[in-house]
Amino acid sequence: MAASRAHWWFVGPALILMGLILLLPILIAAALSFTSYSLGNPGAEFVGLDNYEKIFTRSTYEKMFGATFRYVFVVVPLSVGLGLGAALLINSTKRFGDFYKTIYFLPVMAALIAMAIVWEFALHPTIGIVNATLEHGCGSFLETWGLYAHGCDRGFPLWLTDRDYAIWTVAFIGVWQGFGFNMVLYLAGLTSVPRELYHAAEMDGARTAWDRFRLVTWPMLGPTTVFVVTISFIRSFQVFDTVEAFYPQGGGPSKSVYVMMFAIYEKAIQQNLMGIGAAITVVFLGFVMFLTVIQRWLVERRVHYS
Amino acid sequence: MSDTTLPHSPAVSMPGIRFSSAETLKHAVLILGSLIVLLPFYVMVSYSFKSPAEIMQNTGGFFGAQELFRDDYCVKLGRDLADCMVTPVIYNYTTAFGKAPLLRYLFNGIVVTVSIFVIQVLVALPCAYALAKLRFWGREAVFGLVLFCLLIPVHAIALPLYIMLAKLGLTNSYAALVIPWTISVFGIFLMRQFFMTVPDDLIDAARMDGMSEFSIIWNVMLPTAIPALMAFAIFSVVAHWNDYFWPRIVITGDRSLFTPPLGLREFKGDADGDNFGPMMATATIIVAPLIVAFLIAQRRFIEGITLSGMK
Repeated sequence: MAASRAHWWFVGPALILMGLILLLPILIAAALSFTSYSLGNPGAEFVGLDNYEKIFTRSTYEKMFGATFRYVFVVVPLSVGLGLGAALLINSTKRFGDFYKTIYFLPVMAALIAMAIVWEFALHPTIGIVNATLEHGCGSFLETWGLYAHGCDRGFPLWLTDRDYAIWTVAFIGVWQGFGFNMVLYLAGLTSVPRELYHAAEMDGARTAWDRFRLVTWPMLGPTTVFVVTISFIRSFQVFDTVEAFYPQGGGPSKSVYVMMFAIYEKAIQQNLMGIGAAITVVFLGFVMFLTVIQRWLVERRVHYS
Repeated sequence: MSDTTLPHSPAVSMPGIRFSSAETLKHAVLILGSLIVLLPFYVMVSYSFKSPAEIMQNTGGFFGAQELFRDDYCVKLGRDLADCMVTPVIYNYTTAFGKAPLLRYLFNGIVVTVSIFVIQVLVALPCAYALAKLRFWGREAVFGLVLFCLLIPVHAIALPLYIMLAKLGLTNSYAALVIPWTISVFGIFLMRQFFMTVPDDLIDAARMDGMSEFSIIWNVMLPTAIPALMAFAIFSVVAHWNDYFWPRIVITGDRSLFTPPLGLREFKGDADGDNFGPMMATATIIVAPLIVAFLIAQRRFIEGITLSGMK
């Protein structure tokens, strides 16, 4: 059997496709990032590091990094934190746990583009349900909260069209969409925490729920957390659907929501500036691969408690 | 929302009032969270029932009053006024199917997701089998390559892929929608891990019976891998039914190739004041298949989607 060459027939197609679809494009992106290539234009000029220089000096791209990092650094901690919180609460309730789990998981299943369009309606300043609901609260005890009273007086934020709120609103939708996914990963992680550890911790004087969490649950969830954080980073770096749905042109009020995937799309596909698009692609891949490498390193080194 | 509440261990059960108040608080937090999560679903389904006036004035409750209203477009066509009175819910859903070729979009969505899944399995299964159960020179190198490729999100390399497809003249075709997803290194990895757990005896016995390696894959390994394949199918179908970014890039203009997300986006682009209802109906129709399937087979879905957690 060892003499058989069957294995190359089995591995061959996968190898060829990996080469053509995953590896070759990286080389092409790297090569094009040093040129001023555009589709339908026969000659591409070599421009050296010009594209990268633009990315790291021009204010448009400063905004791009700003928007991307703001989004990522809101969505990752919140969706991980809420995912963990929801998992712990669901795990600790006696009843209806599956019910909440189902609800929180719904946004993960729904096409984000569809839900983005719905959110846009819900957040509409005049006919949207969000501001209408907020207005109902005016005159009640909520007005003791300064910000709320301000909203009642001068009108509530415009959310998606407001320069100061836009990126945070988009990030909120990112959290809304993603935390249920993290929740089920944490729920899976929680089932693998041995019960005896809690008893042991109680013996050692862990009285409060917080102690048990700090001493047992959190350390035992280490591997899950590393994975959840990494996958949240990678997913949120790739945000595109919501941004394109809300702002088909230009990336939001004063480019405040001009995230990287949208920048690649706008520069390369809409404006046919392949060189600069390729350079953003390379920087983007750099980020994502760096994160995954860190994750694997962490998984191998630190997080194994058992 | 809920992350501010202190976590409680499942091991405690305190008797009396204190216990139930903690439990009540937990449910209060979880219910508040549920309301926020469900809000857009509520808006979507509710608006798909309502007339334009009800949407604008935010009246009519969840289902709307379902009073007849005048379809202005129908009047413009010069029909009799009495024939142009429509029930909101019927109007919304018929317009969703009538104004844009929604059935065609749904059909495209099925063609694309099914083709992607079938090709992924045809490519990944033999490769995974070879990596798990055959010894050959270069096996470690191939597996190393698979692990490296797991680092690459396909969306991130969309631009060079688009250029390649454009050079081959393949943009605006089913091929463009399917080709980049034909290789799933994740699928290979997953199936390999699964095959590692299949006992060698089973394969040896099959070989004794004179089965070829090829038929071992399809007649012995495939049936044992059904649970893993189901999970992978869900993972794959959900990702590609909902995908918007890639179709957006390679399909430009040709409506007959639109997938459901593209169709909905196009609808939004054309929508004027009167079309919110039909648009929400379209959104509901596009989102419904996966949600319904999920509600029917929750456990499997959650397994499938969180499979990536097995890494």
